[in-house]
Order: sequence, then structure tokens, then C-alpha cells
Amino acid sequence: MPFDGSKNKLSAFGLALSVFVFPSLAAAADGKALYEDKGCTACHGEDAKTPLEKGYPKLAGQNADYMLQQLKDVKSGARKNGQIVDTMKPVIDELKDDEMKALTSYLASLKWDSQGAPPAKTLPGKALYLTKTCIACHGKEGMKPLMKTYPFLAGQDKTYLLTQMKDIGSKARANGLADSMQPVMHLVNDKEKAQIAEYLSLVK
Amino acid sequence: MRKNILISAALSAMALAAVPAFAAGPGDNIKQGKSLGEAGYEWNKGDGEDAEALKAKPDLKNGRDVYEVCAACHLPEGWGLTDGTFPQLAGQHYKVIIKQLSDIRAKNRDNPTMYPFALPSQIGGPQSIADVAGYIQSLKMNPKPGLGDGKDLAHGEKLYKENCVRCHGEHGEGDNEKFYPRLEAQHYNYLLRQYQWIKEGKRRNANPDMVKQIQSFTDRDTKAVLDYVSRIKPPKDKVGKVGWKNPDFK
Repeated sequence: MPFDGSKNKLSAFGLALSVFVFPSLAAAADGKALYEDKGCTACHGEDAKTPLEKGYPKLAGQNADYMLQQLKDVKSGARKNGQIVDTMKPVIDELKDDEMKALTSYLASLKWDSQGAPPAKTLPGKALYLTKTCIACHGKEGMKPLMKTYPFLAGQDKTYLLTQMKDIGSKARANGLADSMQPVMHLVNDKEKAQIAEYLSLVK
Repeated sequence: MRKNILISAALSAMALAAVPAFAAGPGDNIKQGKSLGEAGYEWNKGDGEDAEALKAKPDLKNGRDVYEVCAACHLPEGWGLTDGTFPQLAGQHYKVIIKQLSDIRAKNRDNPTMYPFALPSQIGGPQSIADVAGYIQSLKMNPKPGLGDGKDLAHGEKLYKENCVRCHGEHGEGDNEKFYPRLEAQHYNYLLRQYQWIKEGKRRNANPDMVKQIQSFTDRDTKAVLDYVSRIKPPKDKVGKVGWKNPDFK
């Protein structure tokens, strides 16, 4: 193989980058190792997109800022809906800030499961998604969140989506930016929430 | 060569360090004023972006484009929702829209749902505030706003005339020059929510004179006066036809 000078320069640059630009990551937390060592895989899946059971979210490719906010809120107790206090808080309580950052950066670097292709058949949930203001913040097919602190929804677990909609509506989940969504949740009843969850979960 | 690489890496490191921390938000460079209840709070001080927007000449064509993002909730007609979730914006005074929009994006008025849509990254700078305010003001109003139960209107009318006319006008028309909002034909539930927030001090950009004035109002008074206000018919030339759809958003 002929000597490829440009490649060498690139790897030297890469090395320099890793040492000088990301010193904290190089020295401390490794997100992938944390994800495995802390047992996150047990519930969210080895690939972070195959949750153990219905009602657990896919994480791979989710917005880093959104996930970091959730981890911080689980640790502080601000997010306490569903089973999160019993199942996840004991693990999160052990994490330091830089570990949470490394973990969420790693998860965000993975590929999100859905490409944003609409479901093959017309679902009532889609019309609701368009008219009940969901699209304004979460974007077309749940794939373009307005802010980095808002989550992707496309292809997310159906049960998880429904539970979160209900919990945000009832204020059982009131952490982070849930207060931006709570005031519009009365626009849909439980049946309609289920329809929206079904539609979003089927975005491919 | 290697030295150059190191220098460029060091520069990139500095560039990264300059990126705001996690807690920082996209609107952090907008100056936040003082809030109701804080020492030195002055209603409508006018030292924020509103001052710049007020100097601008509104371009309604751009205002239409800016309004597109607003239309997702306030509807293309600006009529809001009759259940009061989103207020009617159509026909609101130019200066009132400028003040409230500036206050929301400077975090002087809490509105977590609307906040990100009000940011410069979504709608642009002070000129855009002026443009969209001009556009909103030009829209004809909702002929069928959300109303109260209509059971106590005589009481409501009496209270309105005794307490509200001085600022909000004989028929709830408000005052553009004084930044007093138009209240007539606003959705009852929206009026009720804002009124409660003003009374409790939760609406941080409220006028302290009004906060003080409404403290003695009972629940009955509140419902009656707001029901009365929601039912006042604005001048005919300001009201749209039932079922009108805004052709700007076809």
C-alpha cells in the first residue's frame, strides 16, 4: 500500500484533538462503558433501542441535552413518574455529573431507530398530531424537535409515549420542560392520546 | 507541521470552551428586566427589545412569514381557541403585541409553551417583532369568542364600569399608545387565567396598579366582570365573518 500522507496527518490531528479538545472525556468517564457497567442495558437493551418491556423508552440517538436533563431530574427527584424511582434512581444516584454527560453523549451518538417515514396507512393519531399542536414542538413525524432539550418521538415505544402524555397532563411528570407541554394536554382525551402514541410508534 | 496541528487543536479547544454550558439557553443574550415584586420594578419600563421594535417600521409581508410559526397554536386567523388555551391575537394593539412578545422572550412573562417560538432563532430580531405585531393587528377578530355562563352580566357590567374603564376603555378597546390591551371579545377562559395570575403575582410583567386594584374582587366579581368583557362586541369593521379562513395561509 502506498504511503498515504494525508491519512497520517488526519490521525495525528485526531490524536491531538482527543488529547487537547476532550481532556475530560479522555481522562474520565467512558459513556459506552458506563452504559454497560451500570446495568442500563438490562432495561433499555444492549443497543439502547430494544427495551426489555413495554413502557421503557428507546434511548439510542435521543437528544443529549434532553437525556441529560432527565438524568439530572431523576437523581434530584424532580422526575418521579412511573417506575422511575424504584428502577432507575438507585443507579442514577451513583452517577457524577461528568458521567451523566459521557453517558448521554454516547447514547446521543448512536443512530435513532426511526428515519421519519410516515406509517403506511392513514392513522387517526396523525391528524391529531398535526392539529393538537404536537407538531409545533416535536416536528414533522416526531423527528424534528424544536429545541435540543425536547425529545425525538418517532418510533418510540407506544406504551412509553402514552404514559408520558398522561403523566405530563396530570402533572405526575412535571420536571424539566414538561411545563411547556402540560398546558396543551387537555386538548386530547385518553383515547386520542393512545391514537397519537400509536401513530408516533409506527413512524419508521 | 506538528506545531501547526497542535496550535489548531488548541484553538478548537478554545472554541469549544466558548460554547455555553448546558444550562444556557438560546435566548440568554436578551436582557431580562425586573419582575413584579422585585425592588425597582417599573411597569412598561421600555428598556428592552421593545424599545427597538417600537422604532421599526413594520413590514406586514414579512410579518405574515413570521406569523406562520405562531399560527400553529393561535391559528392562521389569529382567533385562538375558544376554550382559552390560546388567546385571540387578531386585532390586538400593535404596541401591546410588541410589549408582550418582548417580555415573553426576555423571560419577563412566563410562558414555557410559547417561549421557544418567540426566540430570535425562530422569528428574528426586533424588526421581526414589529413586523408580526403589525400583521396580527391587521387581522379581523373572532366573531364567536369563548364566553362565560352569562348568568351575572348586570353585576359584571357594573364592576367593569366602576373599575376597568379608566384603562381598558368604555368597551374594552384598550389603548395602543398606553400599551393597555384590547379585552373585548377575548376568550373568557383566557381572561380568567391571566386575571388570576395577575392577582396572585404570577404574571410578572403585570401593572402593579391593577394587581392592587383587583385584590378585593371575589370569585363572583371576577367571573361576572370577565364574562361581561368577553361578550362586548368590538366595532363591526374589526370583526371577521363566521367561518372565515385566512387566505394568507392556504
